[in-house]
Amino acid sequence: MMASTIFRSIQNHPLLLYPTALFRRKNGVFYCTMKSTEAQTATQEKQKPQIKNPPRTQTKTSDKFSKDYEAVIGIETHVQLNTLTKAFCGCPYNYGSPPNTSVCPICMGLPGALPVLNSKVIELAVKVGLALNSKLSLNSKFDRKQYFYPDLPKGYQISQFDVPIASGGYIDLDLPVEFGGGHRRFGITRVHMEEDAGKLLHSENESYSQEITASPLPKYCLLIWLILLQVDLNRAGVPLLEIVSEPDMRTGIEAAEYAAELQRLVRYLGVSNGNMQEGSLRCDVNVSIRPIGQAQFGTKVEIKNLNSFSSVSRAIDFEISRQVLLHSQGQGDQITQETRLWEEGAQKTVTMRKKEGLADYRYFPEPDLPGVILTKEYVNSIRDSLPELPEVKRRRYEKMGLSMQDVLFLANDVNVAEFFDATIAKGADVKLAANWIMGDIAAYIKNEKLTINEIKLIPQELAELIASIKGGTISGKIGKEILFELLAKGGTVKGLIKEKDLVQIVDPMEIEKIVDKVLSENPKQLEQYRGGKTKLQGYFAGQVMKLSKGKANPGLLNKILLEKLNAQS
Amino acid sequence: MGSKALLMLKGVSSIAPKNQIFNFNCKSSRSSNSSFSFSKVVINHDKNNKVRRCSTTITQSSLEPPNVSRLAETARISLTPNEVEEFAPKIRQVIDWFGQLQDVDLHSIEPSIRADTEDSNLRDDIPETFENRESMIAAVPSYEEPYIKVPKVLNKE
Repeated sequence: MMASTIFRSIQNHPLLLYPTALFRRKNGVFYCTMKSTEAQTATQEKQKPQIKNPPRTQTKTSDKFSKDYEAVIGIETHVQLNTLTKAFCGCPYNYGSPPNTSVCPICMGLPGALPVLNSKVIELAVKVGLALNSKLSLNSKFDRKQYFYPDLPKGYQISQFDVPIASGGYIDLDLPVEFGGGHRRFGITRVHMEEDAGKLLHSENESYSQEITASPLPKYCLLIWLILLQVDLNRAGVPLLEIVSEPDMRTGIEAAEYAAELQRLVRYLGVSNGNMQEGSLRCDVNVSIRPIGQAQFGTKVEIKNLNSFSSVSRAIDFEISRQVLLHSQGQGDQITQETRLWEEGAQKTVTMRKKEGLADYRYFPEPDLPGVILTKEYVNSIRDSLPELPEVKRRRYEKMGLSMQDVLFLANDVNVAEFFDATIAKGADVKLAANWIMGDIAAYIKNEKLTINEIKLIPQELAELIASIKGGTISGKIGKEILFELLAKGGTVKGLIKEKDLVQIVDPMEIEKIVDKVLSENPKQLEQYRGGKTKLQGYFAGQVMKLSKGKANPGLLNKILLEKLNAQS
Repeated sequence: MGSKALLMLKGVSSIAPKNQIFNFNCKSSRSSNSSFSFSKVVINHDKNNKVRRCSTTITQSSLEPPNVSRLAETARISLTPNEVEEFAPKIRQVIDWFGQLQDVDLHSIEPSIRADTEDSNLRDDIPETFENRESMIAAVPSYEEPYIKVPKVLNKE
C-alpha cells in the first residue's frame, strides 16, 4: 500500500520516465491496454513482437537454463469501486476533480470523526466474491492497518485483515489464440474491502532541495527540505477491493491474461471502470522461480509500477530471465526478498527497496465500525442479480459455433457482447452478425475513436441489414454502404433502401435489358471476348453493375451475362 | 483508564464471552506482538481518554513488560527519559489487567468476530458535500492552493 503510493506519485512526475519512454517508442514498442472496445486479441498481437524479442542480452545466456526452471507468480490487484461516495463518508468521488475539494473530517482524519460504511461497498464486494466463486464470510469485520505516510491522514488504513469478506475462489479464462490458446483456472486466495489513500505528488523543486540536505544544514534549509510533497486527499477513503490470487500463474502471458480477465469481470459486473491508466485497477505481482519438480517456492520478488497488461507480462518475463540468469551463474542466493520497480523506458526491473522482515502494521479490529454481517437472503438476492459473466458468455458463444478468435473478440468488451447478443436476439445469423461487428463496425469504431455505445447503429437495424442481404433485397455491396450510413447518421435499413432506391434488381428481364445495353455499347470488347479474351467478363460485369447503380443481383447478373456473351458466338 | 474498563475487569466472567479474545492469523511469532496491542491502549488513554472495546491478540498469558521507548516510536511520539520512567509502571498496570483477561478459560466458547453485536449501521451511497471545507482547509498547517504540503520523510525505516 505504502509503496504503491510512492509509485503512483512517480507516475505523476513525467520527467522521470519520459526520455527513455520516447526512445522505446522509436523501436516500435508501443502498446495499449484494453480500454474502449479494442479487442483483446488485437491488442496482444501488437505486444507479440515485443515478447518474442525481449530487448535484453541476458536472455540468450539464460535460455538454455530456463527450461530447467519454472516461475511461480501470484498477483495482488486493487480495484477501485465505482460508488458515488467514498467508503466511510458521503464525499462524492469523481476522477479528476480539483485537488482537495472532495474532503470532509472523516476522510481527512480529523479527531472525533467517525466512519460510517457505505452499503454499496458491501454489495459490490459480494458481487465480486460471488463472481470469483469464493466463499463469503457472513460475518466479517474491518481492521486498522497502521503505517505512517503523508497520504494517509489518519495514520492507519481501514482494511480487512484476518476475516476477509470473501476467500477461496477461482477465475476461469481462455488464453488468446495467438499465444497457443488454452483454458486456465487460477485460484483466488481472498477478496477484501479497504479504503484508498490520498495522492502524493512530488513538487518541482525536489531534487534541488535534496541536494541541499546532503550537507550539514542550517535551520532554514531544513524547512525547505521538509516542505516537499503535495497531497491531494480526494482519493483518500475511496473504496477498494483487494483481490489476491493463488500463486498459480507460470508465465507473463498467464499473469497478464489473469489481470485482463479480472478487468473484464469487474466491467461485466459494473463494479468498477477497471481503468489502469486512472489507477482504478492496479496490479502488484510476486515472482519466484524454482527448479522444475521442486515443491518448495523460491525467494519471491514483488514488482510494482505495472500500468498495463503488457507491462505485467513483460516485467514478469524480464524478472524470470533475471532470476534464471542468477541461478545459472550460481548466484541464486543473490535473489533476495525485495520490492522491484518496473521501468517502462528501460524495459527492466530495478531494486526499489529491500524487505527487512515483515512490516509491522499492528493490525487490530477497527473499533469505530461494527462487524459486517450478511444474511443468506441478501447474498442470494445479489447472486440472482448477477449478469452473465465473461466465462459463461464465452462458453455460450463457443456452443453457438463461433471460432475461439470470434468468441474472445466478442466477449472481451461487455458492451460489444451486449450489442452482439441484442443483434442475434433480433434473429440475425450468428456468424454474419459476428463478422459485421468484428469487421466493418469494429474498424469504424476504431477509426472514429468511439465506443460501440456511441454509434448510431442499433442492434435491431444490424439484424435487419443482415436479413435484407440474406433475403436478397439488397446486395452485400449496398449493404456495406447502408451500414456506414447507419453508423454515422442512424436511421433504419428500410428507410434508407426506400429513400435511396436501393432495392436489389432481381428481375431477370430487367437485368437482361441492362446486359444487352452494355453489350451493344461495347462492340469492340465483345469482339475481343469472343475472340478468346474471356477475362473481359469482369469488365462487362462491372459495366452492368455500374449501369444498375450497384443494384443488380450479382448472381443473376453473371448468369445472364455469361449466357449472352457465349450465346451468339 | 476509564470506568468502563474497570467495569469490564470486575465483570470478567460475565462479559468475557462477548469480549472474546480473538486470534489473529499471524502465525509467525512476532516479537512486537505485545507492544502492538498495548500501544493501542496507550493512544486511547492519552488522546481520547476513552476505552474502546476491541478484541486483540495476546497469545501468551505471562506478558512481557512494556518497552515504552518502542511504544513511543511506533506511535510517532517523543517522550523524555523522565516520561518513559513515569509511564512504564502505568502501562505495566494496563498490561497486567489484560493478563487477567488472558487467564480466563475460553476454550469452550466460540469466538465472536466483533465485540459489539448491535445492528449494523450502514449509509446509503448518496453524495453529501461537507459544508465547512474552508475552515478545515484553513486549519491545515501547511497549505498551498490546491495542495496540502507535507514533510517528505516521516518513516525512519
